[in-house]
Amino acid sequence: MADEKKLFGVAALFDTADEIFNAAKKVNEAGFKNYDVNTPYPIHGIERAMKLKSSKLGYVTLFFGFFGASSILFFMWWALAVNYPLVIGGKPYFPLPAFVPITFEFTVLNAVVSTFIAMIAIVFNLPFNAHPLHDTNYMKNVTSDKYGVVIESDDPQFDENKVTEFLKSLGGKSIELIHNPEPKILKAFEPKFVVFLIIVAIITSASTYVTLNKFMYLPPFDFMLNQNKGSAQAESTFFRDKREMREPAKGTVARGFIPYAFNDPADTTEFYSDPLLPTKKVLKLGQRKFLTFCSPCHGNYADGNSRLRGFFPPGPTLHSAKVIGYSDGQIYNIITNGMQGIMPSYAYQTTRDERWAIVNYIRVLQRAQNPKPSDFSAISELIKESGNASN
Amino acid sequence: MPQTESTLPAGQVSMELAQSAGYTKKELPNSLSAWGYALLIAGVILSVISFMIDPARASFGYLTAYIFLLCISVGSLFLVTMEYVSGAVWSVPFRRISELFAASVPFLLLLIIPLFFSMKHLFAWMNPEVVAHDKVWQARMSYLNVPFFIIRDVIILLIWWAFYFFIIRNSRKQDSVADQSLTTINIKLSAAFIPIFAFTVSVLSFDWLMSMVPKWYSTIFGVYIFADAAWVGFAVVTLASVLLNEKGYLSPKIKNDHYYSLGTWMFAFTVFWAYIAFSQYMLQWYGNLPEEIIYYINRWNGGWKYVSLILVIAHFIVPFLFLVPRGSKTNPKILIFASIWIIATQYLDSYWLVMPSMVNNGFTYTFNPIDFAFPIAAVGLMIVIFTTAAKKHNLLPIGDPKLKRSWDFHL
Amino acid sequence: MAIDYSLEPVLVEGNPPLKELDEVIIRPIDLKPTRKYQVVLAFFVSLLIIGIICTGITFYYGIGMWGNNQPVAWAFDITNFVFWIGIGHAGTLISAILYLLRQQWRNGIARFAEAMTIFAVMCAGIFPVIHTGRPWLAGYLIPYPNQHLMWPNFISPLVWDVFAVSTYFTVSLIFWYTGLIPDFATLRDRATNKIKKTIYSVFSLGWRGSSRQWQHYEKAYMLFAGFATPLVLSVHTVVSWDFAAAIIPGWHSTIFPPYFVAGAIFSGFAMVSTVLIFIRKVFDMEHIITIDHLEKMNKIILLTGSMVGYAYIIEWFMAWYSGSPFELFTTLNRAFGPYGWGYWVMLSCNVFFPQLFWFKKIRRSVPVTLAIVILVNVGMWFERFIIIVTSLSRDFLPSSWHAYRPTLVDFGILFGSFGLFFTLILLFARTLPVVSIAEIKSIVKGAQPVHHEEE
Repeated sequence: MADEKKLFGVAALFDTADEIFNAAKKVNEAGFKNYDVNTPYPIHGIERAMKLKSSKLGYVTLFFGFFGASSILFFMWWALAVNYPLVIGGKPYFPLPAFVPITFEFTVLNAVVSTFIAMIAIVFNLPFNAHPLHDTNYMKNVTSDKYGVVIESDDPQFDENKVTEFLKSLGGKSIELIHNPEPKILKAFEPKFVVFLIIVAIITSASTYVTLNKFMYLPPFDFMLNQNKGSAQAESTFFRDKREMREPAKGTVARGFIPYAFNDPADTTEFYSDPLLPTKKVLKLGQRKFLTFCSPCHGNYADGNSRLRGFFPPGPTLHSAKVIGYSDGQIYNIITNGMQGIMPSYAYQTTRDERWAIVNYIRVLQRAQNPKPSDFSAISELIKESGNASN
Repeated sequence: MPQTESTLPAGQVSMELAQSAGYTKKELPNSLSAWGYALLIAGVILSVISFMIDPARASFGYLTAYIFLLCISVGSLFLVTMEYVSGAVWSVPFRRISELFAASVPFLLLLIIPLFFSMKHLFAWMNPEVVAHDKVWQARMSYLNVPFFIIRDVIILLIWWAFYFFIIRNSRKQDSVADQSLTTINIKLSAAFIPIFAFTVSVLSFDWLMSMVPKWYSTIFGVYIFADAAWVGFAVVTLASVLLNEKGYLSPKIKNDHYYSLGTWMFAFTVFWAYIAFSQYMLQWYGNLPEEIIYYINRWNGGWKYVSLILVIAHFIVPFLFLVPRGSKTNPKILIFASIWIIATQYLDSYWLVMPSMVNNGFTYTFNPIDFAFPIAAVGLMIVIFTTAAKKHNLLPIGDPKLKRSWDFHL
Repeated sequence: MAIDYSLEPVLVEGNPPLKELDEVIIRPIDLKPTRKYQVVLAFFVSLLIIGIICTGITFYYGIGMWGNNQPVAWAFDITNFVFWIGIGHAGTLISAILYLLRQQWRNGIARFAEAMTIFAVMCAGIFPVIHTGRPWLAGYLIPYPNQHLMWPNFISPLVWDVFAVSTYFTVSLIFWYTGLIPDFATLRDRATNKIKKTIYSVFSLGWRGSSRQWQHYEKAYMLFAGFATPLVLSVHTVVSWDFAAAIIPGWHSTIFPPYFVAGAIFSGFAMVSTVLIFIRKVFDMEHIITIDHLEKMNKIILLTGSMVGYAYIIEWFMAWYSGSPFELFTTLNRAFGPYGWGYWVMLSCNVFFPQLFWFKKIRRSVPVTLAIVILVNVGMWFERFIIIVTSLSRDFLPSSWHAYRPTLVDFGILFGSFGLFFTLILLFARTLPVVSIAEIKSIVKGAQPVHHEEE
């Protein structure tokens, strides 16, 4: 039984392309399934003689080609139009003609690399240097100038003598019995291998260390260290005021800076009105900012129920008639400048839009505490709708 | 090696040749030429009427049809010469079809005469007042003046005619004598034709199309017209060959592999046109210089945007998708559909090249049914020329020495 | 002199048996290198070392060591880059386009041309990278999330170049290696030396030449060729857009894409011819790489050379026709300005001399071919130089005109790139089969079954 398993197949060699063509055809007609034809170069038409199905590699190429095209196009759109939008050369954020070259190149790259990998690794199941055919006399001939057929022992019709006779009758020469090689058991902790691993580890870590910690501080890579530059706190020999750090020119205004006239909390701000619409997006933003910055003292529902449990003076409720009576501008002013020396200014933690969003959200909380009759009908409508939807 | 058969009487040689090619000459159905004449007469009458109604508008329509016919005829002649020069084997059975389409090359000379009379409608530089106010036009006037313009175009068309005449004569002569030296002569003629073709087709495209747009210039423009000509040249040869072969007018020895090659070349030139058209568009869009981008602005404003986008889809995307699968290149129905599509799109492309330039000469474009008169006449004329030429000659170059190798052609 | 058109052309002269083809092709790998080979190798390695030293000087002191100065920011570096990229194009043309056109004569020269492609692209890739001045920062050209939170400018033709050239290199390498797998198997089964055998086994991936494999293999090869064909067009097109997308007179020309591609194939074929003429002589492969091969390549050189000539003429015409004083000045300045001598060198080498190939005698004469193809190489280098330097040195503002003068370091790096290229070619010629064994066997007479399946 063990011997039988060792036999891989019976192989025969042929001299000309015509002979192998006929032989392949006959072997196929005789009903063998597990056989193979080995030739030094592709023989045209033999796939028809062997009745092979045509290659499906094209689908791999097609899929990965489309995948490559769409993914790179999406990525370029995201990078240059969404993530970091920049106007370049007066072109729109998504200048399709300018994206065509890279899309094309990436499509080709993706298609070719994936086809190659699919062919070698999946279709051919290579690399496979332990195949029983290797290092046989048969293999040595079929990669040079002979053509061979091998009928494998796991074919249902396989019978050693019959197959040998059959191949002889086809005109096959130098019939060869091919045996499976002894299975090799690899020892994971073979000393040689362990030493090899250790050496690789040492070399890798040493070279990484040297590159990052020594090499990068040698010229020319140290150009950042040894350039002519002014340090922030150093004394300048060039400027008259001996400061290396320069001040911006007079009258410089930072980008996006808008002056705010009402620096005193007592300033009247009735005319200062809310620029934002109470949309869902604005209210969500207001809610988030309120919960972050306001709720620790004023409570999650602005009812003065401080979350700090007495570690800091609790804030007053915002549902008082006084606060409800404040104008939007007044509330905004309080958030911006602080109040009564206890509430600090939130001008640096929040942007202008965020503060206005908070104002909007506070109005929502107040309305929730003091609803109007029309609100109830609106809510019951909503409940009805969601009830219908769940049904 | 001259073959010994040439001592036999010519009739006998051609019979043997026809037999070995599996070819029997059948007359094309009369209904085809009848349709051709009907279309031609109807088209000519409509064209004459449209010239009477609106001569300016009709000249633009006529130029569109002329560019279309020019692409087909000289594109076909180019394919014939390419086959000789490259020594291609697969295309031999279809060469005669291309030759029959190239039979319209002499007619180009006749058809250009009305264009010479309508130049004042077509070109802004024909108006001395416009030229007097424009330095760029003035600089060009030593090239764009009527006598030189007419003389060079007539000479170009005469040269094409001469090449057509000699190449086709030799090819037809081979049917009866099977003399290999005729192939050698034709190879030499073709080799001479190809560089001449490159320059002459550029000159014609600069003269008739580029000079319609003031200040605009594009060095690739000649290549663009060449790409169109070769593309539609392959489309007409595919259409006629596949139709005729499916009906049994050619040879049963024509295999899928021959069809496949026709489809591949249509596909290749679809991509080539896209490459050339994109190169021109991309560079002028990217540079955004006023004298250049005006060409595309004229082809974008006033609803032309839709024509331009349809052109991209019809000229590139649709034929590309149709011809990319392997199976469709051997399927006669798809090949016929694709080639008809390509011929129609070629007309659209000519239209797109000509019509938006009207605005440069003070006209405003509005759609006009006059535009339909000219394609009818053009298609009719092609059919008439083809059927008339096909009556006298074999549809297969049976005496060509490469024909035998062509039967063995496989992918 | 009559040709019989009814016969298939002979591709391998003398119908050698397959075994003999093995012998001829593998012999250079097995034999010990001769003295001549060592001398030639030493020469090119010294060129390479000169190049490495000059590159080192550039790294240390910066690219001020070159002649580049405003407004001539691009000079030798980009000239060499375009020149080498162009050289590479012949390889892909031979291996992919001629494969799709079923020109079987390509089988004799494809492997070699592909190898040249890879080496030429390697030479080319060096120049833009060292031109950045700090090549160790070139990684920023790849779009990856970095600490600057920025992406490459995908609208810039220079970034397109990064994608085009790296794709081109990868695809060429895959194409080349795919072709090499069966040959590695042949080498593996011939090798007697154990080390060699191990190396070949690893690279052959255990290829068995099974028909079940060949079928997929040929399909994949066809797909690769189908992709490599538009790719090779796109690469030089993108290179041409580096110039044409700008609005500098003499650069902004719509014909640049096809014109550059034709020029690239032109120069590439010239380089392939130059090297093959020596290879076939030295390695006794005159029956595999025949005079017919050289003649066909000369025809392609003639064709592409004429295309380049067409582009020159159209450029002249359009410079005048455009009515733009800048365009006209640039074109006249190219021919009659300070670099006029270079223009005439380019014109004679690229247009006049290749036209001699109209004569059959000259096409089939090896020494004359060698002379012309070397001139073509020179001419195509000058073409890029003229395009780049004349346009930049005389731009819109006469006050900023500047004469470019290359330094010794410039020349050193140029020679170094030749050293690198030919060193790699020489090493390749002795370590791998310079002709594809499997492909050449498949076109020997009688290699394919004559009868096909019964109808």
